[in-house]
Amino acid sequence: MKLSLSVLSTLLVLAGTASAQTDQVIAVRGGTVHTAVGAPIEGGTVLIRQGKIVAVGRQVSIPSGARIIDATGKDVIPGMIDNHSHIGARSTDLNDRPMLIGPQHRFIDALDPDDPDFNDAIEGGVTTIVTGPGSGENVSGMALVIKTFGDDLGERILLEHGGMKFAMGAKSRTRYPTTTMGVAANLRQYLIKTQEYVASWERWEAEGSEGAPPARDLGYEAMAEVLDHRTYVRAHVHSATDVATLIRLKEEFGFELALHHSTEAYKLAPQLAAMGISAVVLPLGDRIGVSEDAMAGPFVLWQNGVKVALHTDAPVISQKWLRLSAGLVMRYGIPDEEALKMVTINAAEIARVADRVGSLEVGKDADVVILSGPWYEPSSRVDLVVGDGQVIYDRTEEEAEQ
Amino acid sequence: MSARRHWLNARSFSLVLLAASFAGPLQSLESQERAVVIQGGTVLPVSGPALQNASVVIQNGVIVAVGTNVTIPQGAEVIDARGKFVMPGVVDAMTNIGINSSDLNDASDPITPEQRIIESYYPYGEFGHGGLEPLRNVEALSGGVTTMYIAPADAQLIGGQGAVVKTAGAVLSSVIVREPAAMDMTLGSPPKTVARANQRDPSTRMASMAMLRQELIRAQEYHVKKASTPNAPTDLGMEALGLLLDREIPARLQATSATDIRAALSLAEEFGFDLILDGANSAYEFRDELTSRGIPVVLGQISHPYISNEEIPNKEDYPPLDENTPAKLTSAGVVTAIASFSRAFGSLAPAGTGKWLLIDASIALGYGMSEDEVLRALTLIPAEILGVEDRVGSLETGKDADIIILDGPPLSIKTWVETVFVDGVQVFTRDADGTARE
Repeated sequence: MKLSLSVLSTLLVLAGTASAQTDQVIAVRGGTVHTAVGAPIEGGTVLIRQGKIVAVGRQVSIPSGARIIDATGKDVIPGMIDNHSHIGARSTDLNDRPMLIGPQHRFIDALDPDDPDFNDAIEGGVTTIVTGPGSGENVSGMALVIKTFGDDLGERILLEHGGMKFAMGAKSRTRYPTTTMGVAANLRQYLIKTQEYVASWERWEAEGSEGAPPARDLGYEAMAEVLDHRTYVRAHVHSATDVATLIRLKEEFGFELALHHSTEAYKLAPQLAAMGISAVVLPLGDRIGVSEDAMAGPFVLWQNGVKVALHTDAPVISQKWLRLSAGLVMRYGIPDEEALKMVTINAAEIARVADRVGSLEVGKDADVVILSGPWYEPSSRVDLVVGDGQVIYDRTEEEAEQ
Repeated sequence: MSARRHWLNARSFSLVLLAASFAGPLQSLESQERAVVIQGGTVLPVSGPALQNASVVIQNGVIVAVGTNVTIPQGAEVIDARGKFVMPGVVDAMTNIGINSSDLNDASDPITPEQRIIESYYPYGEFGHGGLEPLRNVEALSGGVTTMYIAPADAQLIGGQGAVVKTAGAVLSSVIVREPAAMDMTLGSPPKTVARANQRDPSTRMASMAMLRQELIRAQEYHVKKASTPNAPTDLGMEALGLLLDREIPARLQATSATDIRAALSLAEEFGFDLILDGANSAYEFRDELTSRGIPVVLGQISHPYISNEEIPNKEDYPPLDENTPAKLTSAGVVTAIASFSRAFGSLAPAGTGKWLLIDASIALGYGMSEDEVLRALTLIPAEILGVEDRVGSLETGKDADIIILDGPPLSIKTWVETVFVDGVQVFTRDADGTARE
């Protein structure tokens, strides 16, 4: 078939429009740029092309034709990352009851990518989240690392195997285990069974893969990813006793470990630092009566060199208030730029997606947030959010619509 | 009505005891009679405009002068507040602070108007240590909260009688500002969810309303009978509902969804009681009726928009608080307070016992409220809603000397409450009490 010239030129124009959108150069200019990896840049520019950051600094030449976003007098920060939430699924889908060990569960199988909670995240300047199963089981399944915006689900997902959720407080009332030590034994037994499962397959392969293979088990297959470090353990833990148990389990099985909630993790801070165990903390959640000691916990952890991130547990706390968590830990002595890391680059590193997101650095995804005032003040508003190089939230437009 | 109780106002006899019982860094009996001058700070009286380089003079537990040109009594103790901010103690208009979680609601019956929250109240705070020391809720004080409303929780239609208390005092009777302060009631999801789980009534909104109506009619009939037959048996619940029907106390009625607010408004009209709406997150659509009927609203917290005890409540049944709502209601003329809705020990306790109320409320600044409006919504307005504005809520001559000194603007996350006075006694300093790690 031969296309007429007019049709062909129309197609070319359409193609041109489409590429102009993705190729559009955006310059966020004039704001105080907090990169999350260095000192703030007063009057800095973030240059964005094809969805990526191509330049950051005070002396950035802006190509002609670039869309200029004036951020004078405002704060510019990386799109924030909430390392622990449960949005995008119905509350009845978060935990299987009474199953207490379900590593074969994958959060993506419960995901509703159009959950309105994602809009709250965007409005709060949160562009990437880890969302996953709840804490009602000793092992509840595989979390998901996903962007909070975008039409193409495949593009939104950063990491489908985004960490295996353990929960130390998940005791049953009616069946095994009903004690703290029971939870520990249950986890240990399952990890040993996984080792034996892996060994049985290795044996079968070593013997030439002949005869009937061992029966496949999705739970052990998923937990094997933890043992060979393809993924890591995200452990819901409050008490120091349970933190100590997790340290023991890590010593026995060698997995990578991030603590979550981490209420009393500060009590073992030096040990955590020495073992490279990171801590994700929920300062806004007062579920077990967060004392002032625990509120100062992130400071103690940080001071001891533990990598700390903060989380909302959304929808328990709306992701709009992730930055309020950072503000609260600052009150206890964490410097501004270090607190920012806890909702950006540290969260990205713990989630294993720091090659893509978490800082304003050349080559990273262009997820950028502009705020009306100091980024940590509750009274400041998120004015504009750029996601993958596109403006995905503009407060002026949103308010005009209302 | 024969068995009507009067509000306790025990300040006068408690002062000596209070002062005598403080030790160490706290004031002695001697300094209690001696005037104290908080000098040179930015004074935010709330009842009037901010005063730069101003002073507040207190003596015998009350404020005796506020201004830039006050006479300082001879021998007064001077507290240097230069570079600091001085404002009235925060009034937290809705809390379950000091109530053990098992004491929040009677599990046996959805309607218990005879129960008084003061009789479940543990006044030491979560970090209190008991002993022969003055009562202090250090957590509340560390957030600048000096007066609060304590109430049963929301698992019953009528939980009982709430009280207004101070967060520090010598003995329990001296911290009570008003008791009973209100009849605490709940419509909508919480009582019916609890009842349904326990397989009893009411498990629908219709049943909730029918049971409330029936109970109030029973109270009307009881008082008719009691007036004509003085020897008729006394029923404490009916006596308490009599206070409500006689408008001696208002109803604090938690109603979150529009359906529940509509029901609350009609119930109050039908029985002629005074109404205060709690957690009325859908109140904006009723703004005209609320202003014309003079019905106030208590909202909170902004960063924890669900006041439900459920971890993740059903949004249709239990709409969360929109950040714009306090500003929209305030500019529509609805009397609106921002409160902590702090939960009891051992349950979901958003943001601790009001210690972050100032921080939480500062969110409203970004949504169109002025600093003055936010501070009013945390002090004078809740004092008025609680009926204790003659004593607290602003820095005015004659009011209780409940004063907080902050190291920066009150609505910034970096600001700390440094010093708190309750009834003229310095009951908290950040230096001495630090972060309450006792």
